[in-house]
Amino acid sequence: MQIDEVVWQVINRGHCSFKIKTISQNFCRNEYNVTGLCSKQSCPLANSQYATIKEEKGLCYLYVKTAERAQKPKELWEKILLSKNYEQALAQIDEQLKYWSNFMIHKNKQRLTKLRQMLIRIRKMRLKGFKELIPIKKKAERRDKIREQKALVAANLENAIEQELIDRLKNGVYNEIMNYNTKAFEKVVGQNQVEDEEEREQQEQEEEEEDYSDEELIFDPNDLEEDDEEDQEQDDEEDDKRLFQKQTFNQLRRDDDEVKDVKKKKPKVKLQYEEEEEVEDRKKQQIAF
Amino acid sequence: MTSVPLVSVFSADDSTKVTAKHIPLPAVFQTPIRPDIVSFVHTNIAKNRRQAHAVNPQAGMQHSAESWGTGRAVARIPRVSGSGTHRSGQAAFGNQCRKGRMSLPIKVWRRWHRRVNIKQKRHAAATAVAATGIVPLVLARGHRISQVPQIPLVVEDKIESYEKTTDALNFLKRFGAFEDVQKVVSTKVVRAGISKQRGKKYRVRKGPLVVYFNENAKLLKAFRNVPGVEVVNVTRLNLLQLAPGGQLGRFVIWTQSAFAHLDKLFGTYRYASVLKDGYQLLRPLLTNPDLARIINSNQVQEKVQPAKTTKVLHDVQKKNPLKNTKAMDRLNPYAKKQRAAAVAAIKANTKGTKKIKKNKALKKASKAAFNKVAASLSDATKAAVQEEQDIKVKYFSVQKGAAQAE
Repeated sequence: MQIDEVVWQVINRGHCSFKIKTISQNFCRNEYNVTGLCSKQSCPLANSQYATIKEEKGLCYLYVKTAERAQKPKELWEKILLSKNYEQALAQIDEQLKYWSNFMIHKNKQRLTKLRQMLIRIRKMRLKGFKELIPIKKKAERRDKIREQKALVAANLENAIEQELIDRLKNGVYNEIMNYNTKAFEKVVGQNQVEDEEEREQQEQEEEEEDYSDEELIFDPNDLEEDDEEDQEQDDEEDDKRLFQKQTFNQLRRDDDEVKDVKKKKPKVKLQYEEEEEVEDRKKQQIAF
Repeated sequence: MTSVPLVSVFSADDSTKVTAKHIPLPAVFQTPIRPDIVSFVHTNIAKNRRQAHAVNPQAGMQHSAESWGTGRAVARIPRVSGSGTHRSGQAAFGNQCRKGRMSLPIKVWRRWHRRVNIKQKRHAAATAVAATGIVPLVLARGHRISQVPQIPLVVEDKIESYEKTTDALNFLKRFGAFEDVQKVVSTKVVRAGISKQRGKKYRVRKGPLVVYFNENAKLLKAFRNVPGVEVVNVTRLNLLQLAPGGQLGRFVIWTQSAFAHLDKLFGTYRYASVLKDGYQLLRPLLTNPDLARIINSNQVQEKVQPAKTTKVLHDVQKKNPLKNTKAMDRLNPYAKKQRAAAVAAIKANTKGTKKIKKNKALKKASKAAFNKVAASLSDATKAAVQEEQDIKVKYFSVQKGAAQAE
């Protein structure tokens, strides 16, 4: 009691490690403070007779400090378990803090109420579940979004689906003939026979008189003016497609034989190369004229 | 002081065991707490460890700079002589100039140290020792002592013979002092600023202070490597260690013999100190510093006169009773009734009456009366009246004509 005044003067005027100063108010970081504010009445250091309520694992305890134990920090706080019944707990506080200052009793009861409400809320949340707020991370979100788009493109869904359907068709899942687009059907079925046909075609063509006729089929001399290999190839593909379509149609008419898998052959490329040279020569000749 | 007048000495091996039950508290612990003395002494004593330093006396002055004087459309500050370089013509020598010498360059003969009166120093030390025995002050300073069995913590002399750091550590753990050491360890930070390049890389907190007595004690080496822990002999208690930063309440661990020696060092209130020649402990201004208790005590309250009530002489602002009804009522309580009666009377009077309308008959009668009067007028007045009327007619006709013309 005697020292309290001195202690408060030293702590308040000087330095207290638990004091938190804000513009409007001073707070107390001490774990035993009833109110959480820094004031002489609620300072656990400056009052040798003090009481707090603390919560531990869902149970409320009354911590009491008296002047008799002031010199023994280890035994300083007496821990009293409060009843789970609210009214009984209040009665307990009254009993333990009998003849204490009204401030102390009142604040302890307030603190008990607050803690109990908090516990109720915790229990409710645990039982009902609650929406956990997660912060939106802009960068991550942005990144994931872009990656999703890329993945979508890379997945080639349409092609995959197409393949799957074709496989099913071949496997005979759709046994009964359904309505379908003839051209597409031919295209699909013909694609397997394309390579075969290509082989035969080329062989036939080679046997023919000139290579130029092949070129005509595959190249347009006009297109060579651009002098791009890629363009040539694209044109090739388009022409090839048309050619193959014709062929598949013919094939369909002739046979329903199964088509063997044909390896990809590259004589076409070779051919092209040779033809290119020849074409270039021809071009030169043309220019000369 | 409610500091425990009796202190227990603990066994070094077992914190629950007490070797000496009741030792009287040395009188130092009853010294009044005087943070003002401690603060003053600390600020001055802290300067005594400083080493002289200075700025190079030639710094910024190694030019043959001269002022160009007036008439050159430049400021009159001395300018660097010569040519052929950027530096020539630039300002030099002034404290405001770039690359100029600082104002009042530091000299080596600056007064680095401060002397403090011995008595003041001793009082400060005594207060600081007293503060180490007050739990709230030690807590407020930031030491983690919630698991320490007793403050002041006195342990048997056995720890003075500790040689191994492990022994020291285990001892601290047993007495709940290790939490403080852990605090020191966890809050070790690289210092901000240049000092880290000058040998002060880390900022380290202060932990427990171990005070021993026997000069042959080996515990210095045992505790030396424990972070935050300082070891000091009783005879050489240092304010800078007892109240680091000028802040009272260091956590101190005393050995039994050191504790006993304090009475000889500082003396008691009964006799002066033996070792500090003629030093007498500071006496408190108030034996009971609890002002609230004194004021509310029976002895004081008996003599205290009853509180005076303030008497209001007059209103702050005068209100006019002729305009302000409340002010009127205050002066004349009957005024309220009078007002009410007047209102009632008016109401009564106007109860049967209707609104007065202009009567045609009345009008005629009034006109007839007028004509009668006019007839009785003299000729002169008649003529005058006629003239006036003519003018009137003329005027109005003119007006009319003008209006028509427009």
